[in-house]
Amino acid sequence: MWPYVLAMEWSSMLSWWQWGALASIVPLVIALYFLKLKRLPLEVPSTYLWHKSIEDLHVNSLWQRLRQSILLLLQLLLLVLLMLALARPSWQGSNLSGGRYIFLIDNSASMSATDIQPSRLQEAKHRVEGLIDEMKSGDEAMLISFSDSAQVVQPYTDNRSELRRKLAEIKPTQRTTALNEALRVASGLANPGQTGDRKANPYDAPVAEALPAKLYIFSDGRFPDVKDFSLGNLEALYFPIGEDTAANIGIVAFNVSRNEEQTDRWQAFARLENHGPEKVETAVELFFNGESIDVDKVEIEPGESSGVAFDLGEIATGALELRVGKADHLAVDDRAWTVINPPRRAKVLLVTSGNEPLRFALSTDPAPELAEVVIDTPDVLKQADYQKAAAGSAYDLIIYDRCRPDQMPQANTLFIGQLPASDVWKAAAKVNVPQIIDSDRTHPLTQLVDLGEVLVAEGTPLTPPPGSTLLIESNKGPLFALAPREGYQDAVLGFELVSDGALGTNWPVKQSFPVFVLNVVKYLGGASEGQATMTVQPGRPVAWKSDTTAPQIKVTTPGRATLEIPRGRLSTFHINATEEPGLYEIRDGGANDPVSGRFAVNLFSGAESNIPPRPEKELTLGYTKVKAESNWQAARRDGWKYLLLAALAILLLEWYIYNRRVYL
Amino acid sequence: MSTNALPAEVPLLSPDLLAQLEKLELMSRKIFRGRMKGERRSRRKGQSVEFADFRNYVHGDDLRFIDWNTYARLDRLFLKLYLEEEDLHFYALIDASASMNFGEPTKLLYAKQLAAALGFIGLKRADRVRIETLGQPVRKPGPVLRGRHSVWRMLEYLDGIQPGENCSLVQGVKNFCLRNSGKGILVIISDLMDKQGYQEALRYLVARQMDTYVIHVLSQEELEPDVKGDLRLVDCEDSDVAEITVSAPLLKKYQQTLAAFVDGAREFCLRRGMSYLLAKNQLPVDQLVTNYLRQRGLIR
Repeated sequence: MWPYVLAMEWSSMLSWWQWGALASIVPLVIALYFLKLKRLPLEVPSTYLWHKSIEDLHVNSLWQRLRQSILLLLQLLLLVLLMLALARPSWQGSNLSGGRYIFLIDNSASMSATDIQPSRLQEAKHRVEGLIDEMKSGDEAMLISFSDSAQVVQPYTDNRSELRRKLAEIKPTQRTTALNEALRVASGLANPGQTGDRKANPYDAPVAEALPAKLYIFSDGRFPDVKDFSLGNLEALYFPIGEDTAANIGIVAFNVSRNEEQTDRWQAFARLENHGPEKVETAVELFFNGESIDVDKVEIEPGESSGVAFDLGEIATGALELRVGKADHLAVDDRAWTVINPPRRAKVLLVTSGNEPLRFALSTDPAPELAEVVIDTPDVLKQADYQKAAAGSAYDLIIYDRCRPDQMPQANTLFIGQLPASDVWKAAAKVNVPQIIDSDRTHPLTQLVDLGEVLVAEGTPLTPPPGSTLLIESNKGPLFALAPREGYQDAVLGFELVSDGALGTNWPVKQSFPVFVLNVVKYLGGASEGQATMTVQPGRPVAWKSDTTAPQIKVTTPGRATLEIPRGRLSTFHINATEEPGLYEIRDGGANDPVSGRFAVNLFSGAESNIPPRPEKELTLGYTKVKAESNWQAARRDGWKYLLLAALAILLLEWYIYNRRVYL
Repeated sequence: MSTNALPAEVPLLSPDLLAQLEKLELMSRKIFRGRMKGERRSRRKGQSVEFADFRNYVHGDDLRFIDWNTYARLDRLFLKLYLEEEDLHFYALIDASASMNFGEPTKLLYAKQLAAALGFIGLKRADRVRIETLGQPVRKPGPVLRGRHSVWRMLEYLDGIQPGENCSLVQGVKNFCLRNSGKGILVIISDLMDKQGYQEALRYLVARQMDTYVIHVLSQEELEPDVKGDLRLVDCEDSDVAEITVSAPLLKKYQQTLAAFVDGAREFCLRRGMSYLLAKNQLPVDQLVTNYLRQRGLIR
């Protein structure tokens, strides 16, 4: 208590003469008391006994005198208390004076931890509320909430009630944390940018006047240090929120995949981290479509992680949920979801005048499971049906074998022995027997494709547009390249597989050819084998591909809300409302239609699951280290209310004593 | 708190009380010489029906009292002695000072009622009853009452007693002793609130060897004062002033002082063969007379 009394501040609203008037009341009360002290005359049979009683009492007379003037003392005490109350004493006082404040409030997932009741975010809001109370008229403040992105909740204002209202509106999110954006937003006004180099252009002035401000950061500090940032005119204060004893077990990974050896069987894997001070043993329970199917027990040392695997056997499509049995301070990472979606077949159009190796490769397992292949002759390119289908993204992939359309289709393309119609692709003259010297083994299109003994009769070295990826190179130049086009991708193979009925290369007889075709179907066709562990972090957008022709799909969120998502430009559906962790169900038609697909939103962030506050007790913002403010007294504590209450109590006591219902 | 005059409608003796008093008589622990023949045994031998003793006949004795049966048996003359029956002197001394005019009922009224009750008993038994006040002048004694027919005179006299006599206890008792030389039962009814003390006054009575009863009347206000705040207490007799601020210790001290005062008086009386009785004005007179005074042996 004592340090707080020392730190007490006074912010009186009275001027000196008002204080003088107030101080003069004290002698006035004393004078009035003695002037007033008119004892009530009362006739009694005899004062004999009273005199004797008084004489005896006079032995300890000082105390008696005090007791007799107890009313005076109480009145003086009352007055002193009132004067103190007028002086508006407060503790941990107003650092806020005549300035600008920016309150950065972390509302990331870890701020939902309940090691501080009711939650860290509530605590942060409570503290900010205290600071808002402390603001004086003329002070301006800005509220920014941040998780992985920053949001200006309230721009600079001196309206305190508005600040409080907006503060209350800050809601917890389940996102990860990154301070960068919030800092950049905050520094926008304090450090106005310059249009150029000052030395080079002496007339260049800042576009706005710099407005220094104090930056209050309320966070548990679980974010990476911020680099490349200068506080400039900002003065940063960091208030760590959270207890060092906070304990949490979080699921940081959970996915499902086919068994390597038995491809019809599925396996689920999860990784759990223990961010508590003690070793934890907990049960993890696995649910499939809401029904418990397996339970396992894990032991995790503090600060360590542990994996857990489940053999699922043969299961159909559906949703898997993993739950940690032990309750801890952060609930959001105690559950995780993953989904097994039905396989999606890519729609592939092969336009060729005859390409037996390619057709054969496309009909080899597992390509038919992945793709629905339509083969047509180059004549179709002139037909309206094709043009409509190509422009309406009816196909995922169109393979043009030795032919090309006039208009590039709304689909990924593979050109074989032919350049696309656009003039961005260039090619040199035909060369004989180009030697393949290298291929990109990491790219999905050419991975596992061994071109070591592949011979090419004649080829056309390509000059792809800028930004392309060269996948196969020969001693004469690139033979296979991939270039982006308006959200689609065009791959061009610089040699013919079949020319005039004969093979132009020995590649089709090599093992690598079917692998390459499969890669093309998977990568350019966008086919999936049915697991496609669709999981994103909260707040991240999801691009959903669907075979439906409907203009919109319906998404049911974990909170059972239904959203209608319109078809996007690239025939995908962009789902942005993914704040809530859990399972999202997608239906192509009405709400009662069967679920056509699912995706899961999971926190899966070790940094967020690690809820004990940053141990270093400081932040590094650019080159500045900001020490944590350890001694937080919940903002300004106005003392006058308590003093007034005490004064009221004394007034009541005085009245009580005066009426002698009680004797001292 | 104070009443200046007695309410006329308050009877000093209620019919109920009178009926109870009919059966009672005054008792004295001492046997006094009376002046006239009364209903009480005297130390003197005389004429009555109560046998006392024998003695030898001497010449000149009344032959009527010779015990002839004894003469026949022993052949000697003996004279039968009888106890003489005499009257009893009963004195009631009422303190009619201003301080007695307090309380509800006032202590004075209480004293009068008590005196009336005791006087009635005495009159009924043919005793000599005399009621006086402390402030009565030496040369103006109260009336001597005797016989049942004097009850109304006694009540009339009591009604005439007004509060406000300013006379100290000592002086009043002294005057009483000067006026009344006889022996008998004396009942002093007073609050004993005299700044000079009651001790000296009572000592006078010790010297008179009277059968003295001190009935100490205190009002409820004195026993448990209901006061609060800053007060200036004014003595109703000498206008003496005591300034007090009522507090719990003060009230406690007052109670202690009062207890010491009462105990002191009781002790003083007991040591000197007097009977002391504390009478609170809240206790009805009939109860006091029929219960407490009977226990003390004043009446039977």
